[in-house]
Amino acid sequence: MRAVLIGFGNLGRGLSRVLIQKASFLRKSYGLIPRVVAIVDEFGAAVDEKGLNLTRLLKVAGKAGTVAAYKGGKRGKLAHRVIEGVEADVVYELTPTNIKTGEPGLTHIKRAMRAGKHVITSNKGPLVVAFKELDSLARRCGVEFRYSASVGGAVPVVGLARELLAGNEIREIRGVLNGTTNYILTRMSTEGAPFEVVLREAQELGVAEKDPTLDIEGIDTACKITILANSLLGMNARLKDVKIAGITRVRPEAIRLAREAGHTIKLIGVAKHGSLEVGPKLVPLGHPLAVGGTLNAVTLELDLAREISITGFGAGPRETSSSLLGDLIDIHRTLGG
Amino acid sequence: MLVRIVMELEDVPGQLLKALEPISHLGGNIQSIMHQRERKTPLGRVPVMLVFEVSERARLNRILAALQARGVRVTQLGEHEGAVRATALLVGHIIHTDIRDTIDRLNALKGVRVFDLSLAMGEPGQESAARMTITADDERRVNLALSNLQRIADRKKLLMITSLEAG
Repeated sequence: MRAVLIGFGNLGRGLSRVLIQKASFLRKSYGLIPRVVAIVDEFGAAVDEKGLNLTRLLKVAGKAGTVAAYKGGKRGKLAHRVIEGVEADVVYELTPTNIKTGEPGLTHIKRAMRAGKHVITSNKGPLVVAFKELDSLARRCGVEFRYSASVGGAVPVVGLARELLAGNEIREIRGVLNGTTNYILTRMSTEGAPFEVVLREAQELGVAEKDPTLDIEGIDTACKITILANSLLGMNARLKDVKIAGITRVRPEAIRLAREAGHTIKLIGVAKHGSLEVGPKLVPLGHPLAVGGTLNAVTLELDLAREISITGFGAGPRETSSSLLGDLIDIHRTLGG
Repeated sequence: MLVRIVMELEDVPGQLLKALEPISHLGGNIQSIMHQRERKTPLGRVPVMLVFEVSERARLNRILAALQARGVRVTQLGEHEGAVRATALLVGHIIHTDIRDTIDRLNALKGVRVFDLSLAMGEPGQESAARMTITADDERRVNLALSNLQRIADRKKLLMITSLEAG
């Protein structure tokens, strides 16, 4: 199976490393031989229709700061040309998220679908801005569209709900979907330290970004809840439909009062028909959503199975490649490969 | 009706007696007492689960009030007997926005009572936090109380944090 990678940041590199490491496992277990025929970053592209040598490419790109330094590589904005011109089965869209316009990912995905290529993405932007449009475009073009990595990192919530729980009607989805805020709330709880102090610590550790607005204001969680509502509840929701409260006003005293009553405070996203909400909530200690550190957790409320909860790592290149690779194997199986 | 409550007692002699006395005095027939030492709270209090029989709702309310008056904190109240509880946190300028008014407005609702309030003051000029426990006769009333509290919180610019299971 021939793949193109658009975007070569942490996720693209992490996926490449895993493809190298798992080559013989994939061949033996699934008869799957993934061949990366092109990689594009913001400075250029490396193309080899016989398959790039990923080990060499990682080394060269690591040194030069762009994949264009690979043998025969080209400089320039080449994403569109590669997506449309290079023969491939699947396009990985792994560029940074823009939740306002969805670009450049949105255009990449549309072009790939129209060119008859399957799409796997981790990019929340296009999914938040144009989920329905992309979903029906994929159908019209007769291509597969997978986005497991966009919600929950390694936590396979979309696959769990769609495949393994397919006979259930999903009534409600609740989740801790942002590792940064969960880390901050956990540290505030264990250390009794104020929000600002813990945020600074998280930034020093690289758990929070320099501009943490999207995380701490609950917007990242709201994006994920929007995606889950659209993909699992069949809604046609936009980000503006989510009632959002962040964690900036949560004080250590509040967490202490919660603990005294057997609860902790978590930033929870809730999706059910007719209401989408993100905000701090009281969660009983010992509840499946009372997870610590940077963990993510999701609880599905279902008509048959009642409640199913799942926990895992919501970020990190290696962890997220679990979802990115899983999607590729899933497409391979779907197509009867 | 049979009532199950969990209360938190300080880990010093005489505390259990202090809590049991008003129950039997007000007509509660105590059936079992269980110390939950393994679940000691961060402040060193020991949860004690108590099951007792009481003839009517009003009597139970008098018992709960008597326990509260003696400084006994009841953290759980059996729900199947008709008493439904909800806990909410408030963050903001709680005193300056008149906490008494907030409580009065809730108590004015039929079948609703603010049962417990714990306050943690912030540093001068900073916001405070409060934990409020509301009891109500049934699920519908407790939800009504919570939506009223949400409206009050919005108006007083308080952040309200409700339970995951609420609503």
